[in-house]
This record gives sequence, structure tokens and C-alpha cells, in this order.
Amino acid sequence: MNTPLLSVEGLSKRFGGLQALSDVTFAVNTGEIVGLIGPNGAGKSTLFSTLVGLHRPSAGKVALNGRDVTGLRPHVIAANGLTKTFQNVSLFAGSSVLDNVLIGGLVHSRVASARGFAMDCLKRVGISDIAQRSAGSLSFPERARVEVARALCTRPKVLLLDEVMAALNTAEMDEVIGLIRDLRKDGLTVVIVEHHMRAIMSVCDRIFVLNFGQLIADGPPAHIARHPEVVEAYLGREHDV
Amino acid sequence: MTMRQTFLLICFATLIPLALEPNGYYIRILTLALLFAALGQAWNIVGGLAGQMSLGHAAFFGLGAYTSTLLLIHFGISPWIGMLAGGVLGGIAAFLLSLPTMRLKGHYFALGTLAFAEVFRVIANTWSSLTGGPVGLSVPFSEPSLAMLQFNETRSYYYLMLAAFVAVSMIFVIIVQGRLGYRLRAVKEGPDAAEVIGVNTTRVKIHAAVISGSLTAMLGTLYAQLNFFFDPDTVFGALQISIRIALIVIVGGIGTLFGPLLGALLIIPLEEFANVMLADRAAGLSQLTYGALLMAIVLLQPQGLAEFAKKLAARISGKVMSSKTEART
Amino acid sequence: MTSLVQAIIDGLMVGGVYAVISIGLTLVFGVLGIVNFAQAEFLMLGMYIAYFAWAALGLDPLAGAFLAFGIVFALGYGLQRTIIQRVLKAPAVSQVFLTVGLLIVMENGALLAFGSQIRSVTTAYQTKSLQIGPFFVSLPYLAAFLMSIASGVSLWWVLNRSWLGMAIRATAIDPMAGRLIGINIDRVMAIAFGLGVGLTAFGGAVVLPYLSVFPTAGSQFVVLMFTVAVLGGLGSVAGAVVGGLAVGVITSVSALMFPIQLQNLVLFLVFIAILALRPDGLMGRA
Ligand SMILES: Nc1ncnc2c1ncn2[C@@H]1O[C@H](COP(=O)(O)OP(=O)(O)OP(=O)(O)O)[C@@H](O)[C@H]1O
Ligand SMILES: [Mg+2]
Repeated sequence: MNTPLLSVEGLSKRFGGLQALSDVTFAVNTGEIVGLIGPNGAGKSTLFSTLVGLHRPSAGKVALNGRDVTGLRPHVIAANGLTKTFQNVSLFAGSSVLDNVLIGGLVHSRVASARGFAMDCLKRVGISDIAQRSAGSLSFPERARVEVARALCTRPKVLLLDEVMAALNTAEMDEVIGLIRDLRKDGLTVVIVEHHMRAIMSVCDRIFVLNFGQLIADGPPAHIARHPEVVEAYLGREHDV
Repeated sequence: MTMRQTFLLICFATLIPLALEPNGYYIRILTLALLFAALGQAWNIVGGLAGQMSLGHAAFFGLGAYTSTLLLIHFGISPWIGMLAGGVLGGIAAFLLSLPTMRLKGHYFALGTLAFAEVFRVIANTWSSLTGGPVGLSVPFSEPSLAMLQFNETRSYYYLMLAAFVAVSMIFVIIVQGRLGYRLRAVKEGPDAAEVIGVNTTRVKIHAAVISGSLTAMLGTLYAQLNFFFDPDTVFGALQISIRIALIVIVGGIGTLFGPLLGALLIIPLEEFANVMLADRAAGLSQLTYGALLMAIVLLQPQGLAEFAKKLAARISGKVMSSKTEART
Repeated sequence: MTSLVQAIIDGLMVGGVYAVISIGLTLVFGVLGIVNFAQAEFLMLGMYIAYFAWAALGLDPLAGAFLAFGIVFALGYGLQRTIIQRVLKAPAVSQVFLTVGLLIVMENGALLAFGSQIRSVTTAYQTKSLQIGPFFVSLPYLAAFLMSIASGVSLWWVLNRSWLGMAIRATAIDPMAGRLIGINIDRVMAIAFGLGVGLTAFGGAVVLPYLSVFPTAGSQFVVLMFTVAVLGGLGSVAGAVVGGLAVGVITSVSALMFPIQLQNLVLFLVFIAILALRPDGLMGRA
């Protein structure tokens, strides 16, 4: 058996009296595209933040390529190949788009070569035309893409995308779906949090469902769509999305 | 500002003393302003780039002044070497300061750094056997020479401070354009996002603090050599040094290359003139004016002079633009 | 042993005063989010008001304290409406500069207005003290302590039992929400600032029987006040009381062991250690 690229065991996170994650266990293999869904407040973003080291888990273990990374600082985890985008978009507002992305590249290289690679990342995401604009002046969909480019620039092995398709129109969404498929071809492993069921269903190999901090289901898209608990907890309420 | 303009500015600064009396009052003010511009630039590395508004830089400044002067008094060691020793100690002090204050924000950071410098002031006042206590220290004058960093004419000090300012500014530019500068801006604008994309925010902040503290200490040596006399309250003083440095940069334009120079050229002469004009009138009047000015600056232009200049320029060019379009129609 | 207990008693006596002057600082921070570096100057002002009330009207400083509170409250109210209000949203450094500017103006204003001479009052109880077994409690210290505790309790009552107090606490927690439920938060903030500086002035007046007043009289209290406020958690009134008593005892006991100049050093180290370890104060949320 291969060790999974990302494995999570019994992960829990408490915020004071709130159990945001309880005993979450799953594994993601190299080259997979995995979806993570669940109602608002289910703990999806908290899970991502805990995986990348922004939150210290109350219990449990995170391993990357067999190496235990639980409790390590986010920059160490990033250097080991795991990073994420921010749902609320957290760009360096005073810097240009290019500089935002470039900083991601500094994990591996000096400024000059990071700049070249940052341009490549912007091209991949399809926003090289706004490279010189100030990040603070962008629209939400543009900012979300800069987030993706910046994360790509760290050359991750596993990329966690937190609602990067929010506020995109259908054409733009298709572009991002295409991009995610391309990334997988290059060997990247992607975990996506998204409320757009069409996007999730069409691109993911497997889907996990989180509700009240607990994993309640996982399986291929077709299976998830029929899962009674899922339909009740999630799809039932936002069927029209 | 372009390279060419910068070069012209430096040439201009080199020529100014020729128009002034070599030991006169005006050149002394300019010399002091340049020293504070350099201090501002060193502060700018943490205050401007990392966004950490330190109010404790007097700790490093005083450390530098005392280190070189004590080495000179007791062992006859040249202030050049004393300056390096002070720089090392300043860096170490900055490292020690950054450990407890690393995670503090806003007011707490300001208070923590302020208290740190006060610790040094109290120690310098108390440990009289080493520092001479509240009486202060006099720098022994041997003979004017570059090797001993001592000169007869203020003009020579002017060039010394100009060189110091240019040197610190060059370090600032190198940092801004290099890895550290990018990382510092990331830390300032989004520490969590910076960490997640691989920036070791703790290390970056410590690097900036150590460089800034070390440079500030070295400038402390230059101050001791310029003034020939100092006491704990002047070199470790919160108001005299820490707050003044931060004020200069913020007034001039925080995080910008020319902000510290602009701020120093405004604040230092203003203080001096207020002192000269009002000091004999009544005790406290010049200080009161200074305090009132401080308040006025905050109330009128919290974003800094540079921002003000930018707005002014925008307005003027806006007018030019609109008059052009009018002419066309 | 006796001297240690005596030091603790002395420490508690002055600690009560430290508490009330720091409550002012912490209240201003809690409600306005501003660290007022000029706070100690209001203490000096309170001392002067009590002094002149004594010199001109023969009013005992303990009674003059109420006058000091009233005048400084009004002054603080006006200052907040005209000046402080404008920097509420400014970065911390701008606020520091403003209040440091105010500190300089007040200190030198006092120098210009009252001259540099040191003034003190004479009262009948000044040199008296109570004896309890082997221990002494100096009467002016005891009076200042009791007055301080009484004013602290009154403030607590106002904050917790009155509509005004509710409005102040609501504003401290969330100004926007305060506005929504119909609180005039500009007014409440001005009242809070007035109360804060007024209390500090009150504390200045009650120590006049055993301390002298001069233009820089406030500066000796700056470090103390900040240590107390940070010890108790900036913004916490109850914390300031505990912090005040603790700092009183710390300084008075450390005076047994260290030379007087190092007292401030001990305070600074306590201060930095607390900031580093528990930024929200010893009893804070952290
Ligand atoms: N830093 C925090 N401190 C306290 N509670 C938090 C924190 N972050 C998240 N929470 C709480 O944890 C729960 C899970 O939040 P989370 O943001 O992970 O949900 P989510 O699944 O991403 O929701 P959405 O679909 O709205 O993005 C929520 O109740 C939220 O209020
Ligand atoms: Mg979320």
C-alpha cells in the first residue's frame, strides 16, 4: 500500500465552547481532486486552516507524505508542499498582483527567478494582464484568482482551495474547472471547498461531507448525491444552487 | 524619484555647506537633521516595512553612544571600532527585545518597546560606576582626525552624517528590493497569509529588528562624537529619541525612501527655532510650543507630509490635466 | 518579619491610591481604545486644584478632591469632544503622539502658570499615625487609601448599577452596536474620558497631604500607572484595583531589598514580562 499524500487522523478543534471539528479522519492520494462540502459553519474553512497550521489542533494528527506535520508552523508546512487559499481573500493589499504572487515563490528561489515563475503562475490562472495592478483595487473574482496564483507559486504538492469560485459566472467557473484539471495533469493534488454543486460534481473524484464538524459521508460524486444524510443535511437546503 | 534625481539631490546636499559658515548655527541644525534622517531610515526598516511601530529605539541609540564612548575613555579604542561593537550590542538588544514583543500589536507593542528603552535609561542612571550615572559622559577630545572620528568644524560632521544617511538609505533600498523587503511587506499586510505561503514571519521580523537596532546603535556613536557630551536622559530618553524618530518618519511619510529626510528637515529645524526663539522668554514655553505642534501635526495630517505632498501634486497635475482637456475642446 | 509586614501594610495603603489613578487610565482605554500618555498630568492637575483650594479657601485636600474631580471631569469632557475624538480611529502611534503632545503641553503649561516651586499643604493629621500592635499606619496614607477605595467602589456602582454605566460598558464592547440601540456614543465616550481623568485627578488630590505638587509631579506616576493597568489588563476596572494593590506591595517590598532607583526597574521588568506572557493582563481573557 502506498502512503497517502495527505492523511488526517482524529483531527479535532475547539474554539472555547464550540467544537468546530470533531474526530475528522480521511486521506487524499497523489493526483486526486477531492471535494469538501457541507453547510455554512460546518467547519470546512477551519479544517483547511488547521491542516496548514494556522490553528493548532486540539487533538489528532496530520501527515504529509508520511511525515507528521501536526503542530508545525504554517511556513514549514508550506515548504513541505501544503498550502491554501483564503475564503475571505487575504491579499497583500498595498502590493501589486505580481508582487503578491512573487512572495509565494520566495520559498524556493530568489527575487529575480521568483518573479519569472510568478508571471508563469499568473498566466496559468489567466490573469497576466493585471500583473501590475494594485491588489487592493481588484474585483472579488480577480482577487480569488490572485489567491490561486499566489498559492501555486509556492509549488505545492497539495493545494487547498477555499471557495475560489464564489461570485464567478458560469463561463469563468468553467475556466477554473479547466485549470484545476490541468493542475492535476501536472501532478498536483487538489482539495476544493465549494458551494456550487455543479462544479464540485463535475471535477471531483471523491467528495467528503462535513456537518457540525464531523465527516458524515465520503465517496464518488454520484454516491454522495444520493446519500440520504447528505441530502438532508446539505443538498436539501440548497438544492437550487 | 529616479536615479538621476537622487544623484542630483546628493550633489546638492554636498554643495550646501559651501554656502554656510563652516562652524555656524545653520550647518549644525542640518547636521543634526541628517543624523535624525538616518535614524529615521533605520527605524523605517521595522516601522515602515514591517509595520511595527517601535517606540523603543532609544535603547539601541544609547547603547551605541555608551559603548563607543566607554571604550574610548577606558581603552582609547577608536570610535570606529566602538561603533562596530555598539552595532553588535544593538543587534543583540534588538533580538532580545523582539522575543517578548514579537506577538504584540498596536498599543501593546508601543508600550512594550517604550518600557524596554526605559529599562536602559534607569540602568544607565543607576549604574554610575560604569556609566557615570545621571551626570553623563564626556567624550575625550584628542586631536581632530578621521581615524578618531573627531573634527574641529561642524562642516566635517555634516559630511559624516550625510554619508551615514546615504549608507543607511542604501541598506534600506537593498532590503526593500530584496527577499527580506518582500517578506516584510507581506508580514505587514497579512501575517497569516504570509505564513501560509511560506514566509517565516517570526524570523523576518527578527531580521528586520536586528538590522534596524544595529544601525541605530551605530548612529548613537556618531551622535556621541558630534555632541561630545551626553547623559542617560538624552540618549535613552523616550521623548528625545524614541518618539522623535518615529514622529519624524511618520510626518515625512512612513515606509518611503525620502520620508525620513523630509520629516527630519521639518521637525529638527522647527524644534531648534522654537527653542532659540522661545527659550529665554519663559521656562517651558518652547517645550509647550513643541507639544502643541506635536498635537497639531497629528490632528492636521495624520497620514504624513509625503501623503500631503502627493495630494498636492495630484491636485496640481489634475488642474494641469483638466486645463489641457479644456484647451483641446 | 515585622518590617516585611509593615512594608506590605504600607504597600497596600499606597496601592489603593495607585488603583484609583490607574482606573482612570484603564477606563479610558477600555471605552475609547486610547492609551492616554497624558493621564498622569491630570493627577498633577488634581494636586494643584486641591492645593489652591486649600491655600485660597482653606479647604482640606480630601474635600478638595471632589472639586478636583469636578473640574477635571469637565475639562476631560471638553478635551475628548474637541481633540481626542478625532484620533479614535487613527493608528496607535498617532494616538501616542497626540497624548504625548498633550503631556508636554500640560506639564509645561503648569510650569508657565504656577512656576517651578514645590508646594505642599499642612493639615492637622499630617504627621499622625495609628498604632496596631507593632505596626503603624500613617493617618494621611490611611485617609488617601479609604478615599480611593470609596471612589473605586462608587465607580463600580456607577458602571454596574446605572443606565450610564450600562451605556459605557456597551460602548466599550461594541460602539456600533451601542449606537444601534440608541446610545449617544460620542457623549458616552466623552463622559468616560471625563470620568477617567477626573478619577486620576481625585487620586492626585487625596495624596496631597503627604506629597508635594510641582509641574512634573505627574511623571513619577507614569510607570506605576501603566504597570498597574497592564497588570490588571488594560480596560479592566476590577483588574486595576488588584493591580494597584499588587504594585503598591511590590514597590514597597522591593524597597526593602533594592536601592530606591531600582524600584522603577523592577516595575518595568514586571511590566514587560506581563505584556509578553499575558497581554490581556493577569486576570485577562488570554
Ligand atoms: N477563529 C475562530 N474562533 C472562534 N470560532 C471560530 C473561528 N473560526 C471559525 N469559528 C467557528 O467555527 C465554525 C466553523 O466555521 P468555518 O468557517 O470553518 O465554517 P465553514 O464550513 O467554512 O462555513 P462557510 O461555508 O460559511 O465558509 C463556525 O461556527 C465559526 O463561527
Ligand atoms: Mg468557509
